[in-house]
Amino acid sequence: MAANHLEEGVDVTSGARVLECVVVTPEETTLQTPAQFIALPLFDGEIGIAPGRAPMIGRLGFGEMRIREGNHVYRYYVDGGFVEVSGNLVSILTQRAIAAEHLDQAEIETALAAAQKKPANTPELLAIRERAVAQARGQQWVTRSLG
Amino acid sequence: MANARALDKRRKSIKNIRKITRTMELIATARFKQAMDRASAATAYTNRVTGLVANLANTGMQLSHPLLESRDNPRTSLQLVLTSNRGLCGGYNGNVLRMASDNQQQLSDEYPTSLLEVSGKRGVTYFENRQTALAEAFLQFEDKPKYEEVERIADRYLDAYATGIIDRLDVCYTKFSSIARQEATVETLLPLGTLVDDPSDLATGSEGQGEIEFLPSAESILQEVVPMSFKVKLFKCFLDAAVSEQVARMVAMKSATENADELIRELSMTYNRARQGQITGELLEVMGGVEALKN
Repeated sequence: MAANHLEEGVDVTSGARVLECVVVTPEETTLQTPAQFIALPLFDGEIGIAPGRAPMIGRLGFGEMRIREGNHVYRYYVDGGFVEVSGNLVSILTQRAIAAEHLDQAEIETALAAAQKKPANTPELLAIRERAVAQARGQQWVTRSLG
Repeated sequence: MANARALDKRRKSIKNIRKITRTMELIATARFKQAMDRASAATAYTNRVTGLVANLANTGMQLSHPLLESRDNPRTSLQLVLTSNRGLCGGYNGNVLRMASDNQQQLSDEYPTSLLEVSGKRGVTYFENRQTALAEAFLQFEDKPKYEEVERIADRYLDAYATGIIDRLDVCYTKFSSIARQEATVETLLPLGTLVDDPSDLATGSEGQGEIEFLPSAESILQEVVPMSFKVKLFKCFLDAAVSEQVARMVAMKSATENADELIRELSMTYNRARQGQITGELLEVMGGVEALKN
């Protein structure tokens, strides 16, 4: 599971502690990389995960995920799901992980407009609407910080 | 004795058919492998979700959610039938449709309203011929069902279930157990009943790791895990159906090719005999002619 140069979560070449990050969607394993730091949109705010994090399971919201590996930062939009930290392995289970540069601004705007027009006259319908709006806003946020 | 030329013509056309069935077999094999890879990726995801549920269960929390419990006074049922868009795949569609019809009959006995949704051209025409009204028909699913598209359907079902438009969802599809075994099955996906199919999976959750922190809370995670596992289950149904279709086509085309080989062999033999007979006849005629001239 771990990359070759990793041993017990420690980068052999530099001696620094490293996380092993796996992003899984139902269709494929989107990303599998060592990482120094991961920032994730949780259900109620952003969380940062550094090596040595205590085991946890978190519910993801809709927003931007940043994975820093050396000087490179992977930026993705994650569409809900979960993050599980156990030891040095960080598994991110999400329905969709879209690389930030693949998001389409115009499409998001129409999705947001459509979501806001949904009826909200019962608690269930309100919840459905809020979810759709949150998804669109999350995507919007990722594209904004890109530009 | 049959005409040698007619026999040859038949043999040629069978050879052409054999070429086609052989190609279809090869294509189905390639597609099967791709579909299989996708299915195993989905399985990896499901396993992780199961592990998560196991961790939740280990906290001693009561796993309850509206999607897990059946309703007291059900009114509407919905059945989704997964068939293929193309034929030439043996008994694949027939098996699913037979099962779906029986199940639909049962559902309409039990529920005041029972809706029917079908994916795949074969299923759509089948129900059209029987004058069964379809609530929805999908034709966009080929050998690689996209999660995004399945999710859209899943979201619609979840919304419909949450708002009480439907009280039960059955999916009739071909379950892929192994390359030699695919079965048409009906699964009730809503209400979900249980989060884990096999209770022994629960024991295999990560143990001995000490306390796991739940953010924001175990309850909140359960709220999300249930709809998610429904979506993944539905996606798995589509993937299974796609894999099974390719296997069914592979097998059907393999036997068609073998059958063509057999026919070609038989026809070749008859053709050779007929040709030989014709030559012998002609020789006899020539010799008879020579004899006649001699006299």
